[in-house]
Amino acid sequence: MNDLTPDRDERVANLKGLGCSRKRVEDARFTQGKGNYIDDISLPGMLHGDFVRSPYAHARVKSINTDAAMALDGVIAVLTAKDLEPLSLHWMPTLAGDKQMVLADGKVLFQGQEVAFVVARDRYIAADAVDLVEVEYEELPVLVDPFEALKSEVVLREDLDGQTEGAHGPRKHHNHIFTWEVGDEAGTNAVIDDADVVAEETMYYHRTHPCPLEPCGCLASMDKVNGKLTLYGTFQAPHVVRTVASLLSGIEEHNIRVVSPDIGGGFGNKVGVYPGYVCSIVASIVTGVPVKWVEDRMENLMTTAFARDYWMKGRISATREGKITGLHCHVTADHGAFDACADPTKFPAGFMNICTGSYDIPIAYLGVDGVYTNKAPGGVSYRCSFRVTEAVYFIERMIEVLAIELNMDAAELRRINFIRKEQFPYQSALGWEYDSGDYHTAWDKALAAVDYEGLRKEQAERVEAFKRGETRTLMGIGLSFFTEIVGAGPVKNCDILGMGMFDSCEIRIHPTGSAIARLGTISQGQGHATTFAQILASEIGIPADSITIEEGDTDTAPYGLGTYGSRSTPVAGAATAMAGRKIRAKAQMIAAYLLEVHDDDVEFDVDRFVVKGAPERFKTMGEIAYAAYNQAIPGVEPGLEAVSYYDPPNMTYPFGAYVCVMDIDVDTGVTDIRRFYALDDCGTRINPMVIEGQIHGGLTEALAVAMGQEIAYDDMGNVKTGTLMDFFLPTAWEVPNYETDHTVTPSPHHPIGAKGVGESPHVGGVPCFSNAVQDAFRPFGLRHTNMPHDHWRIWKTANGLGLHDT
Amino acid sequence: MDLKDEIVINAPQAVVYAALNDAEILKDCIPGCEELIKHSDTELEAKVVLKVGPVKARFNGTVTLSPDNPPERFSLTGEGNGGAAGFAKGGAQVELAEHPEGTLLRYDAHADIGGKLAQLGSRLIHGTAKKLAAKFFKNFANRVGANEAA
Repeated sequence: MNDLTPDRDERVANLKGLGCSRKRVEDARFTQGKGNYIDDISLPGMLHGDFVRSPYAHARVKSINTDAAMALDGVIAVLTAKDLEPLSLHWMPTLAGDKQMVLADGKVLFQGQEVAFVVARDRYIAADAVDLVEVEYEELPVLVDPFEALKSEVVLREDLDGQTEGAHGPRKHHNHIFTWEVGDEAGTNAVIDDADVVAEETMYYHRTHPCPLEPCGCLASMDKVNGKLTLYGTFQAPHVVRTVASLLSGIEEHNIRVVSPDIGGGFGNKVGVYPGYVCSIVASIVTGVPVKWVEDRMENLMTTAFARDYWMKGRISATREGKITGLHCHVTADHGAFDACADPTKFPAGFMNICTGSYDIPIAYLGVDGVYTNKAPGGVSYRCSFRVTEAVYFIERMIEVLAIELNMDAAELRRINFIRKEQFPYQSALGWEYDSGDYHTAWDKALAAVDYEGLRKEQAERVEAFKRGETRTLMGIGLSFFTEIVGAGPVKNCDILGMGMFDSCEIRIHPTGSAIARLGTISQGQGHATTFAQILASEIGIPADSITIEEGDTDTAPYGLGTYGSRSTPVAGAATAMAGRKIRAKAQMIAAYLLEVHDDDVEFDVDRFVVKGAPERFKTMGEIAYAAYNQAIPGVEPGLEAVSYYDPPNMTYPFGAYVCVMDIDVDTGVTDIRRFYALDDCGTRINPMVIEGQIHGGLTEALAVAMGQEIAYDDMGNVKTGTLMDFFLPTAWEVPNYETDHTVTPSPHHPIGAKGVGESPHVGGVPCFSNAVQDAFRPFGLRHTNMPHDHWRIWKTANGLGLHDT
Repeated sequence: MDLKDEIVINAPQAVVYAALNDAEILKDCIPGCEELIKHSDTELEAKVVLKVGPVKARFNGTVTLSPDNPPERFSLTGEGNGGAAGFAKGGAQVELAEHPEGTLLRYDAHADIGGKLAQLGSRLIHGTAKKLAAKFFKNFANRVGANEAA
């Protein structure tokens, strides 16, 4: 040893492991235009597909004439349901146990529904040919309101008519899908009916859309010589796609290779299986050449998986002192034309039963009724674990309404009802076991950081000044405290189409001490190549910079359920740590042999194994790796590899405390977010910079949803927000500055204590922005107004409260 | 979508009324009209090229005229299909009254628009429809007024 020998701290720093704000390794290619997205992939002889889509929301298809389209030079084929029927592919199963038309089979049920698939030499010819396909429709009555749909005599799903049993139990009406109930309804009602104070509210969480910058697309290539189908696509769950493609097509699974290249954002939108994938595969099988389909922005917004569309009716009861005694929630869920919600099989309303939030509520009930309407199918968790945004919005609004009813400060009401630190692991009234939390500490830290008392004082002064006519600007203080439930999930209760929701990691250490790890997940911008290498670096003592992370190719990656619902770190991240520990266990045996001591006499130290009590005697991981391949070690197989399939024992429960300070111009409805403070507790922090980036992104999407983003329909079922002119995507212009903060409460069951963070800011952000708007008008009698809070709606709220009266 | 306006036409009421039922005059006055075939006194078939924002399409439609109360009131209904571009259907009430400069024409129209036209054009469609209606009646006033002057 000499002065140049790195000390222990330097060796730790050199690994760039857990806790290091290592720069994202992906960004070099993304910022230099070297990403490889689906539309960058081009295969020789490739054809292009495009859809004829229904202009009607509900109509019978009387005839389809493809003659003119086929006559166009460059058109190879026009597929209709009739062509798919002999293959039994004119319908496909959905992730929710329902089925969905691939191409219109007799009728169309939503605007933009796929009617015919044109395959042509290039994308432009395909688009021209779409205009030449003549479809004769007979209009049918349109149902866009789920409450109307449940009363209407109009049968939307004629294929299901007469079926009183659905995938999730009895159906009450021909447009009803399922009823899902959790908790004790009679007991809850009894508590609420007898309570000192009861608050009731109905709220609509509007339909919106994840709108990733890159739309959905795929490239199917059937190699008829080898019998192999290769499918490139924007898939958040490539292995699931492979299995489903095999089950649907009859092609053996080993003959299907699914590749997810770089993905330009997913947010849940790219979990589902869309008709474009099926049609591209069929077209490639029929033509024998590769067929690419990439949807445009309008198609993405109008037809691929939407989010939310929940009508939530709540009753919450409390003592006069504000201790919550019971919660009742009923949801009317608009699922559109087909039930294609992406949820674990046993959870048709996702994890909506996390709706008791962060509070110790002794008794609760949740009932959800799913309904068919003439809207696009889908229903995904847009940057949230399954329906958690709806649940958190619901409880965080109910708390505010209860605070009004109690004439109490909403921050204090939260504080006295939080689950206490010593109650963890906490059993919720609706069946979850919260793993860990310290809500009071986080809340106090957040309120102190923003000087909550000072803000309330300023707000009260502003109200007085407003009443005196000295200002036309009100001030809102938005609060939210959320508990997420992520990391789906334990195979005992979480599966998708019967596939258990474990995940996986396979590691190979190379002889010179670098490594490759492959996972069953797929990054869509989350930075897996950066953070998973950091987990491994700390586990196996090889620098993160020397570890390649590879995902998305089903021929090489171990089987996994993909990336959504903040599950990658809780599940695949755990698999990574566990596989790393297997590597370390073997490395320990090799090190002991090389150091000529017993296995138990060496211990792991950062990047090496040292002889206990004699740290100058050591073997680095590099030396061990080399020996693993090149030295005959008695009783030890050559090589240094490991694989782990991780079935998590429980979900993880990240939480956070957010405060938003907003000024609202009463006369224009224009909002100015003066301050946004976000405290997140995601357990062990792998890369603080990546976490910060995730939080900025999640908050920005929360801003979008709360303040203007929606998929709106008119009475005829026209999508009124099908372009980015009308669908709000925030830009730097609208986005406020975010202050981030954290506490660290590790998950007790996760190998490294990490909980997941990608979706937390969205889940907590939406109610925080919304509560700020509502809080500004609370002194003038507002109880609740529905999102999105665009300028016009805020103006209407102010107008309705008489604030424009002179 | 509702459209309402009034316009003064420099011709007697009976002449204006008759012109509103004249397929040849209508064809000349409807912006983008390529073909207007009269199947009967009340049934017309039209081919019209329409452009709303980024959507341009040829609409095939039928128009049914209802001469409720000549020469004062007149109504029509119609529907058109523009294929991939979408569809439209609607109707209008037209009222005529004497005016010092000829005839005062008031119209009150309602239209439902669907498909790509409605999605892409939602923020443009009202303006476009108003413009087209104004253009029609301007053409109509010129044509009928000129006939009268000649």
